Amino acid sequence: LECNAGALTNFEVLDFLRAKGASKDPTRVIAKVAQSEYKVYDYLVDTAASVQTRESINEFLTSVKQHDLAKAEVLNILNIGPAAEVELYPIIEDCDERFGDEGVLEIVELVKKTLPLPLNMKQEEITKVDEETATLKNEKGNQISQDQSEGGEQMNTS
Amino acid sequence: MFYLSKIEHKLPLPPSRFVLPIREAIHMELEKLFLDKVIANLGLCISVYDIRSIDGGFIFPGDGAPTYTVVFNLIMFRPFEKEIITARLLSSDADGLRLTIGFFDDIYIPASRLPDPNHFVETEQKKRVFSGQESTTNSSSKKGVWYWDYNEQEYPIQDTDVIKFRVTNVSYPQIPVEQPKESKPFAPMLISGAMDDDGLGPVSWWFADEDEDE
Repeated sequence: LECNAGALTNFEVLDFLRAKGASKDPTRVIAKVAQSEYKVYDYLVDTAASVQTRESINEFLTSVKQHDLAKAEVLNILNIGPAAEVELYPIIEDCDERFGDEGVLEIVELVKKTLPLPLNMKQEEITKVDEETATLKNEKGNQISQDQSEGGEQMNTS
Repeated sequence: MFYLSKIEHKLPLPPSRFVLPIREAIHMELEKLFLDKVIANLGLCISVYDIRSIDGGFIFPGDGAPTYTVVFNLIMFRPFEKEIITARLLSSDADGLRLTIGFFDDIYIPASRLPDPNHFVETEQKKRVFSGQESTTNSSSKKGVWYWDYNEQEYPIQDTDVIKFRVTNVSYPQIPVEQPKESKPFAPMLISGAMDDDGLGPVSWWFADEDEDE
């Protein structure tokens, strides 16, 4: 009846799969989600869509109206979530001619401001986890040395 | 990348589904019929989005099941031309790259659409084949690694990288009547891509460059 009844962003597809229960069932057996749908879910979880929200997307769409972007370009920006100018150049056609360096910077800043950036967040999380494990190790090390100094017998390893 | 496609279909509902509510039964039957299948010119079916209407339910003479006319929306994977997609490397040979996005594996980047200048190093013999040169042996079977030559440095395209490419064409080949024995499996949907632009190719290239600049 209708070949194209509307384009969907990666976030909308991910949200639909989450609503079906793709994120709730770690065994991937109980939820009424097909294996092929789980493959799509696994792909989308690693994209910018995983940290986007309806609010952030609406905010971006409202803000981006001031720039003369095609619908396909806006959709692509939402799906990719470009965090640098170099990521924006392949998305926008004739980028330099249409926007110039300042315009491109503005769009990148707008993306950074309105859409969460998954790569940076993941990096921060990794460093946080590293710091936590390091402090835990230090604490454990201190405990062991305290135990030993409190008269605990030390095993002879020689 | 994803679209909704509105479809009308005459669906016979097998008696084994009668225990379920009609909407749920039809939904399950539609999933069985369309899920993970390629529909020519529409794309790869990802999921049944919703059911708009259910009509009929007539049992035709000689049929052992009621037939319903169902109007529903499917989520289809159908990239548009010039779309940028992130993927991973599946295989690399003298003809170009084959990429995967997990749920779809038939993405091809021909050697002519790789970043230029480039060269290809065959894995077995470690023999360089520069762009514009022909490999002396049969190229189609030679596996190896492609390198982008830039500023007297070699940037490899490896399977550990997340790769960005631009969609140049989506085609739906006709189902072959006969297939030669040693030919690769038939793919009902093929995506051709390009990586010959700034910001495309392995993501690590561009962010490594930025780090060096800083």
